[in-house]
Amino acid sequence: MSYHTSAYLFLFLPLVLLAYQITPKKVRWVTLLAAGYVFSWMVSGKLVIHLIGTSLWSHYIGVWQAWLKLRCHMELEHASKEECANIKKNYKKKERTVLAGGIILLLAILGYLKYYNFFAQNMSQLSATLGRREPLQAKALLLPIGISFYTLQAIGYMVDVYWEKIPPERHPGKIALFLGFFPQIMEGPISMYSQTADTLWKGTSLKGEHLAQGSIRIFWGLFKKMIIADRLYVVVQAIFENYSQYKGAVVAAAAVAYTVQLYMEFSGSMDIVIGSGRMFGIILPENFRQPFFAKNASEFWRRWHITLGVWFKTYVFYPVSMSGIAKRWNRFGRKHLGKHLTKVGISAIALFPVWLCNGLWHGPRWSYIFYGMYYFSILMCGIMLEPVRNKCLEILHINDQMFFWKILQTGKTWIIIFVGELFFRANGLRAGIHMFLSIFRDFDLNKLVDGTLLNLGLDQADFIAIGVGCVVVALYGIVRERNLMGERKLQKLCLPVRWALYYGLILAVVIFGAYGVGYQQVDLIYAGF
Amino acid sequence: MDTLMNILTEIDSSIVWDQENALIDDRMLDSFDIISLVSEMEGAFDIEIEASEMVPDNFNSVEAMRKMIVRLQGS
Amino acid sequence: MQDFKRKLKAVRKTALFFGILSLLLTSLSKLMLRISMENESFVKSRNKNITGIQKEPKNTIDALILGDSLSYSAFSPMQLWEQQGITAYVCGQSGQKLQEAYYTLLTAIKSQTPKIVILETNMIFRDQKVVSSLQTTIIEEGSYRIPLFRYHDIWKPLLIGATYGEEMYKGFSLREAVVPYTKGEYMKKSTDKKEISEGVQYYMGKIIDLCKEKNIELLLAATPSPKNYNYRTHNALLNYADERGLKYLEMNLLQQEIGIDWNTDSLDKGDHLNLSGATKVTEYLGNYLRTNYKLSDHRKEAGYESWEKTGKEYSEKIKEKLR
Repeated sequence: MSYHTSAYLFLFLPLVLLAYQITPKKVRWVTLLAAGYVFSWMVSGKLVIHLIGTSLWSHYIGVWQAWLKLRCHMELEHASKEECANIKKNYKKKERTVLAGGIILLLAILGYLKYYNFFAQNMSQLSATLGRREPLQAKALLLPIGISFYTLQAIGYMVDVYWEKIPPERHPGKIALFLGFFPQIMEGPISMYSQTADTLWKGTSLKGEHLAQGSIRIFWGLFKKMIIADRLYVVVQAIFENYSQYKGAVVAAAAVAYTVQLYMEFSGSMDIVIGSGRMFGIILPENFRQPFFAKNASEFWRRWHITLGVWFKTYVFYPVSMSGIAKRWNRFGRKHLGKHLTKVGISAIALFPVWLCNGLWHGPRWSYIFYGMYYFSILMCGIMLEPVRNKCLEILHINDQMFFWKILQTGKTWIIIFVGELFFRANGLRAGIHMFLSIFRDFDLNKLVDGTLLNLGLDQADFIAIGVGCVVVALYGIVRERNLMGERKLQKLCLPVRWALYYGLILAVVIFGAYGVGYQQVDLIYAGF
Repeated sequence: MDTLMNILTEIDSSIVWDQENALIDDRMLDSFDIISLVSEMEGAFDIEIEASEMVPDNFNSVEAMRKMIVRLQGS
Repeated sequence: MQDFKRKLKAVRKTALFFGILSLLLTSLSKLMLRISMENESFVKSRNKNITGIQKEPKNTIDALILGDSLSYSAFSPMQLWEQQGITAYVCGQSGQKLQEAYYTLLTAIKSQTPKIVILETNMIFRDQKVVSSLQTTIIEEGSYRIPLFRYHDIWKPLLIGATYGEEMYKGFSLREAVVPYTKGEYMKKSTDKKEISEGVQYYMGKIIDLCKEKNIELLLAATPSPKNYNYRTHNALLNYADERGLKYLEMNLLQQEIGIDWNTDSLDKGDHLNLSGATKVTEYLGNYLRTNYKLSDHRKEAGYESWEKTGKEYSEKIKEKLR
């Protein structure tokens, strides 16, 4: 049961809304939690145990931290000034050990379930080349749905408690609900405890305007997924699964098609998910902010899968750059190497783990690790070449605000994105390299209009639908980017216009959606991570 | 506290520092600026800034930075 | 008082919104249905039969046939017409599920008053998991009430003129290829019963009740198909028919009487019948219906001229194909 299926939209969601409303306010959190576990159970069956276990474990670690902090506080009261620093240091060490243990257990389980087979495969290949025969058997390991998402949320909670950003939570139910809110389970967005835990717990009654706003948001997500993404899936599938048969412009088109499909589907799912939350009056963090307006790779990652980027920045990037090694480098660099080289050094130290983790997070494949390293290299190039770039701009009298320069930069970023996604989607690293190199063989734009693209499962009408859909999404993107119309201004538009837009949206989904006879249902891409 | 203003002006002399209070939210300081800023602050004020301090509330304005420095000096 | 007034206003606004929405949906549904009925080539194959039955002049169809691909491979309404004067229509779909059969029946009886419904029993053994079964139900119920969901794709042929033309004679699929079935006897005696799932039983119940309510006879028919039937399915169907007091025609045990020859009558190694097999099965069914049911012979009646005409075309065509 995925968020775009009729079972979720017309059965599960309305039932939960109803159950929520008729439950007394104090117990509504139980309804939401039950809905989350039912949802998880319907997808993963008994594996829901892992979600429950993660919640209990996070709670336990938080409580232990609380106990340590209390002990520290009590000891400080009876201590002399000289001893204070020592006591604090000791307890800090203990808290850190507890935190580390908490994180390591969760990561170990995640690592085992997700990466054991990858590890076994590579070990087997390694021992084979070394002449030894110790094959590690691949096991049939199933992943509980959402494990990659709620594990990050759980780690975030534990670290926030350690950092004293939030007080440790006494009620295990509150943590359970934070980790198991049903719209977030499959694909995020990854929220922090301080963002959603309280509103989830409150149990505010449903409000008409929230239901309306949420529904419209859901339809907007369905628009993107059912009209554009599910159609592009057919073409992307056909080319990527038979990649050796294609080259040149067709492969380039496939990379573009996949990028657009991925954006429409993932951001569309986010719309459905955030819209679902909105119906309960809960505000989930945004995951996309017009990513194709980015002028460089760094900005792209502040606009694409935002919550993942924020998580890595908060819990990997800053801790690494504030670590002993990094600080030592900073001091050394400031004295002997000058600003630029220091920056290059610190970037490399801090960004490498971030991008390695980003790649690995997506899954146990060399192509995902390559993807992470690809962006790492691009970001590092950007940083290393910064002084050169600035000098060139000075000489050519170009400033950053010039329109044509912005277009150029955006275009360059698009190419970086499309190439990245080509490797991301390809069936393995070798396939990715093959496909990438094949673009430069026989690059013939004619291939795009001579009918090749019509033999992949889509007809002209489908392409027209994709085109028009993309234009609509792009126009709305421009409106949002230029802040031409926020939600409040939309409400101020007169009623007939507003309603006309709503009807237009709903009817567009109903009429142009790729569902029913002749279409197949497409699963969510990110639910597999 | 002119030391702080010196450090900030060195990072970017075009920003009118005491008039801004959304330095992080408006991306006037990016992550690398903050890291070098932290390094300078640690050296100049003899404090230790940990990852837990890396929140917008501590860096959005000069006032916020001063508060954080004072707090870390006291503990 | 203010609060109440505000709430009332909100409720009225919501009601108005949904009122206009349902108006839009139903009028678009009517429009799309009309366009589909007027342009057979705009309709995708899976929807052709349910559209076709709505096009038939009111109250002219006496026998309605439901089922999966076996039904439109085995039963030829035009042959029933030529030989018995019975007006039949095959509303089968490839891989038809019970929900689809039920809603097809509901749709058909809006404009028809059939005396008998013949249900090809293979779909009774089509199992569905809970979630996908729920989804199918939602989709079918939705499409029944708002046909727009079924015909929404009509914008494509309207825009670029796609055609899904297919040879159809009141739902029968005319296919003459021959790929023999050679694995011999498949109805080997056994006491096992194949299971019939709960979801299927539920919708069978609904179909049975509907037929009872509208005074329609219900006949369960298992057409000859070595790939899909065996003694276990037979036992299950016999038991089910007994329990519910239904008539049950097991053609897999009447192969000799029907004259089935698996060297000439199989379309695809014993999964479906081809034209030759269908001719034999339909002839047997026609006699069976005449003996056991009171169905009128409409040949030479006023109002059935189109049947006469199509019937002659059909006879000519199959004479050629079976030569």
